[in-house]
Amino acid sequence: METIPENEKTTPATTPLAERLAYSIQEAADLLGIHYYTMYRLIQRQKIKTCRVLRGKLLVPRTELVKLLQTDLR
Amino acid sequence: MKYQERPTELQESAATETKMAFAEHLNQFNSFCDALHNLERNLETTGNDAFKAALLSSGRVVKTDEGAEWQHDVDLMKDISICHRRNAGEMEFAVVESVPLPSGETKEVLNSGHNVREVLQTFAHDQRQVLRLWKDDVTAQMREHLEQKYPGHDMSIVVESFEYKMSRALAQRPAQAQNQSRGVRI
Repeated sequence: METIPENEKTTPATTPLAERLAYSIQEAADLLGIHYYTMYRLIQRQKIKTCRVLRGKLLVPRTELVKLLQTDLR
Repeated sequence: MKYQERPTELQESAATETKMAFAEHLNQFNSFCDALHNLERNLETTGNDAFKAALLSSGRVVKTDEGAEWQHDVDLMKDISICHRRNAGEMEFAVVESVPLPSGETKEVLNSGHNVREVLQTFAHDQRQVLRLWKDDVTAQMREHLEQKYPGHDMSIVVESFEYKMSRALAQRPAQAQNQSRGVRI
């Protein structure tokens, strides 16, 4: 069985942003180049769907960001 | 109630550390609360300014993504302004938001109507909901942060203190706000 070298193992904290399935609001805002308040506004208007993880933290699925960029909010 | 209990030394130091870790969010949240309170306090004035600007019709043309053309009247917040257009002889007002995405800037009407005051009230109400969403998310992040940093310790009193302070910032007018908190000194 192949083992992954210690320095190549990835955890949510070390996985590169581009490979993640979901992002925090701050990370999603950084990827889009907008203020995180704008992200909350988009969520409130249901332009972006989010999911809540344990403790209620919001996560934005990667697919939602792609969809947003393709549809330009329309 | 938990927030009336006396916090331990560890909880006090966790609160100080959390305040530093989330300083940017907390400062920005307070600034946006102040902006909302100012908008709510000056609703009449802003409405009158927008109406006067609409009568002059000298603002730049704002074209939304749907292709509708509006005329800029007054800026409300960063990237958000109140605009107007004449529709069948009647004046119509709208709150228009610009979002500068990597794929290009988008412009969208958030809400519109013929009564500028009502349009502003609806906008303020929606912003309040956005700030509540922000507050809930930040306190959830704090909870996660504290659980990772202080495993096995009950830090709910710390989170509740921040939650209380943020709720107060959102609820109160700037003139009423005082530097007070419950439970842990933050």
